[in-house]
Amino acid sequence: MSLIHIENLNKHFKILNRHPGLGGAIRDLFSNDFRFVKAVDGISFDIAPGEIVGYIGPNGAGKSTTIKMMTGILKPTSGVIQVNGQSPYDNRVRQAQIMGVVFGQRTQLWWDLPVIESFKILKEIYRVDQKTFDEHMALFDELVDLGKLYGQQVRTLSLGQRMLCDITASFLHNPQIVFLDEPTIGLDVSIKAKIRTVIKELNQARKTTIILTTHDLGDVEALCQRIIIIDKGKILYDGGIKKVNALFGAYRTLKLQIDGFDESTLRALEEKLGAHFGPENGVSLSEVEDHWTDITIDQARTPLADVLSFVMGNFPVSDVRIVEISMEKVVRKVYDGALG
Amino acid sequence: MLSIRDYIRLYFIIEAQYIKARMQYRADFIISSIGMFFTSLASLGVFWILFTSIPDLAGWTFMEMVFIYAFYMVAISPMQILFDQTWYLRYAVQQGTFIKYYFRPLNMMFYFMSERFDIKGLVQLVAGIILLVYSSVQLGIVWEPIKLVLLLVSLFGASLVLIAITVSAGCAAFWITNAFPVLGLAWKLREFSPYPMTIFDGAFRFVFTFILPIGFIAFYPSQMFLRPEQIDPLVYLSPLVGILSFALAYWIWTKGVNSYGGTGS
Amino acid sequence: MRGYLALLRGAFMIGLIYRFGFLFIIIGNVIYMGVAYYLWHSIYDKTETINGLTFNETFIYVTLGSTVFILLKTYADWIISHEIEDGSIAVYLTKPIDYQFYALSISLGSMLTNAVAISVPTVLLLVFVFKVTFVFGPGLLIFPISILLAFLISYCFDYFTGLIMFYTESIWGVSVTKEIMITVFSGALIPLQFFPEAVQRVLLLLPFQAIYHTPLMLITRPNQDWGTLLSMVGVQAFWVVVMFVATRLFYNQAIKVLRVAGG
Repeated sequence: MSLIHIENLNKHFKILNRHPGLGGAIRDLFSNDFRFVKAVDGISFDIAPGEIVGYIGPNGAGKSTTIKMMTGILKPTSGVIQVNGQSPYDNRVRQAQIMGVVFGQRTQLWWDLPVIESFKILKEIYRVDQKTFDEHMALFDELVDLGKLYGQQVRTLSLGQRMLCDITASFLHNPQIVFLDEPTIGLDVSIKAKIRTVIKELNQARKTTIILTTHDLGDVEALCQRIIIIDKGKILYDGGIKKVNALFGAYRTLKLQIDGFDESTLRALEEKLGAHFGPENGVSLSEVEDHWTDITIDQARTPLADVLSFVMGNFPVSDVRIVEISMEKVVRKVYDGALG
Repeated sequence: MLSIRDYIRLYFIIEAQYIKARMQYRADFIISSIGMFFTSLASLGVFWILFTSIPDLAGWTFMEMVFIYAFYMVAISPMQILFDQTWYLRYAVQQGTFIKYYFRPLNMMFYFMSERFDIKGLVQLVAGIILLVYSSVQLGIVWEPIKLVLLLVSLFGASLVLIAITVSAGCAAFWITNAFPVLGLAWKLREFSPYPMTIFDGAFRFVFTFILPIGFIAFYPSQMFLRPEQIDPLVYLSPLVGILSFALAYWIWTKGVNSYGGTGS
Repeated sequence: MRGYLALLRGAFMIGLIYRFGFLFIIIGNVIYMGVAYYLWHSIYDKTETINGLTFNETFIYVTLGSTVFILLKTYADWIISHEIEDGSIAVYLTKPIDYQFYALSISLGSMLTNAVAISVPTVLLLVFVFKVTFVFGPGLLIFPISILLAFLISYCFDYFTGLIMFYTESIWGVSVTKEIMITVFSGALIPLQFFPEAVQRVLLLLPFQAIYHTPLMLITRPNQDWGTLLSMVGVQAFWVVVMFVATRLFYNQAIKVLRVAGG
């Protein structure tokens, strides 16, 4: 029996078509001109207890809408959604007891209070018994040295420290599921590592199911066993991390600044690359923006170093940047059938 | 799921911490308290000035007005102290931070309102109680136990009416972008409630009694103690009006909460 | 100069967009007029004049007082204290515009929107529903100037309060105390004539009355001789200058402190 069962789930929004200007604003008051937006369009999946699932997709894909339905905030337009055997929307309070939620940069702790007081209040709200409370606080301290922060007011913490507190707090009452929305956004590398560690450890220690929405591929690689990719309300991919990892890891974007770049250079570049590396080489020229030319390279087929030395040997390159592939590009590739 | 006792206990824990944190801002605490003292008595001051030029207002003497005003001050205190967060609803809604209230196994109105406890409102409460005692002594009102019970019950009902009006007004934020003026209207109505309803007739009397029942915040309940021989049976309905108004306001809140899906996708 | 005009126009347009808000402001004002009508009607039940004012005069005074009150609401104190508090004031300090004039342009823009949207229906209601008779006279001509001056004084007050709010970290308390002082002492709530003699004389010397009392008297008693009328406005102008200078000094002081402290 899966913990989360979603079958043919739909969520449609009715949006008013607004007209510009003052006259338009008055007309809108009486308007019947609506359009339907399918935020979530017939998705289905099951999640078993203990899984860590990465729920990823570009902005506007329908991620937050799905999460909101899972947490009981939004009522589905149609379809089945069951969390722990119950419909989340019908009893928000009961469902909240078995869930933990952390969303982005807005803290759910009490702003003016010391960290430990927030935890104590949560203990009361979720009716955590003293033994479990003490165990968990000791665990958090052991994992990420949380004890140091106990006496500090939440408002004085850095973003990274706040995230650590919010994340650990979400596990305090031993929830069955924890939803983490962009937990490492805007943080530096060392704090990201800490956060990924604590998530992984808590998942293993407590067998908590974790649903992670993120734009950070590092999060995905470090934590997720399973990925669900959603775009435009539909599921593009639902499967193991390995296949998608190959997709992320292999791709790099080579950004070059070439002196005297113009239309003819672009064509010359295309021709020469095609000639040298052959067709189906996984090397493609993408946008040219602000004097930067992007070459996306599938390292599984053509090593980046080869491309770089080739271009530098044939064109006057004045600056180079190497970037990992972005989430948007990955989704684009999946959409175009990269995962077959 | 929490019981009523759990909620009360939780409330004490949260507010104890909140007050402790607020006490750090000493200058603000003192200035606010002083400001509160003057604001709450400003209207009474205006009446006092008025009464230097006239002997009575629609048949009510100054001391009777003081009693009604004192009743008003006590009746509006629960709204001021416990539901002050209502004034900040529009910010939470617009900025999206309101979403956090959905995630805890708590009644959302409780959780939302518990985030703010207006300490300075206690100044108004105390001043109101003192004035109530003073005016009842001056008017020669005898407080037998049954009357005291009646007083507490009517104060309770009266406070619910103001809470209902203000919270309903605050809920406009769920649907309207610039919702502040709706609260502004609720505030104005609050200011009119110590006025004797006998000055009104026709449409205004009807509205203030049955539709936006500010008459039940101070004037009608006060009748039970000021003119017990002459009262309208309507007056005994005060607690019921309070409960019904609050139920309506809670219904509006629920509708607002359900319609709010948050921002973003 | 063009920059300020653009800001003014922008604020005016934003005001228009908030149409629901306006509806409620107008409703609130209408209800207030009704309540005031009944209240003062009750007060004047047995006498023709009280303290030298008739019911008609007092009623116009009080209802227009509330309209003028809305008009002159600048919220400058909240805006300024918030901008200082969260540091966004730093952005304005780096731009080649004077901060005070910038803030003033914004406020003036909203004031104009309010002026049109609120006072027009109010006057219409007064004339056609409440059947109030307006007296005509030269005072009415000076009224717009008087209102403008009143706005400037009110704005300076709010600005000054905003700076105090920044210093004391107390937002509500200072703002509300200022509100009370202005509304009671300026005659906005109840005509100054109702105050005891001695108190009246003191109040007339203070700047508060220049905000409400003067313009309202111009409307209720516009028939006075030019000498009196001009001196009333003259007093207002005097206070504008005083308040402006005082605020400027305080502002410079505050900015110095802010720059040192790092905001």
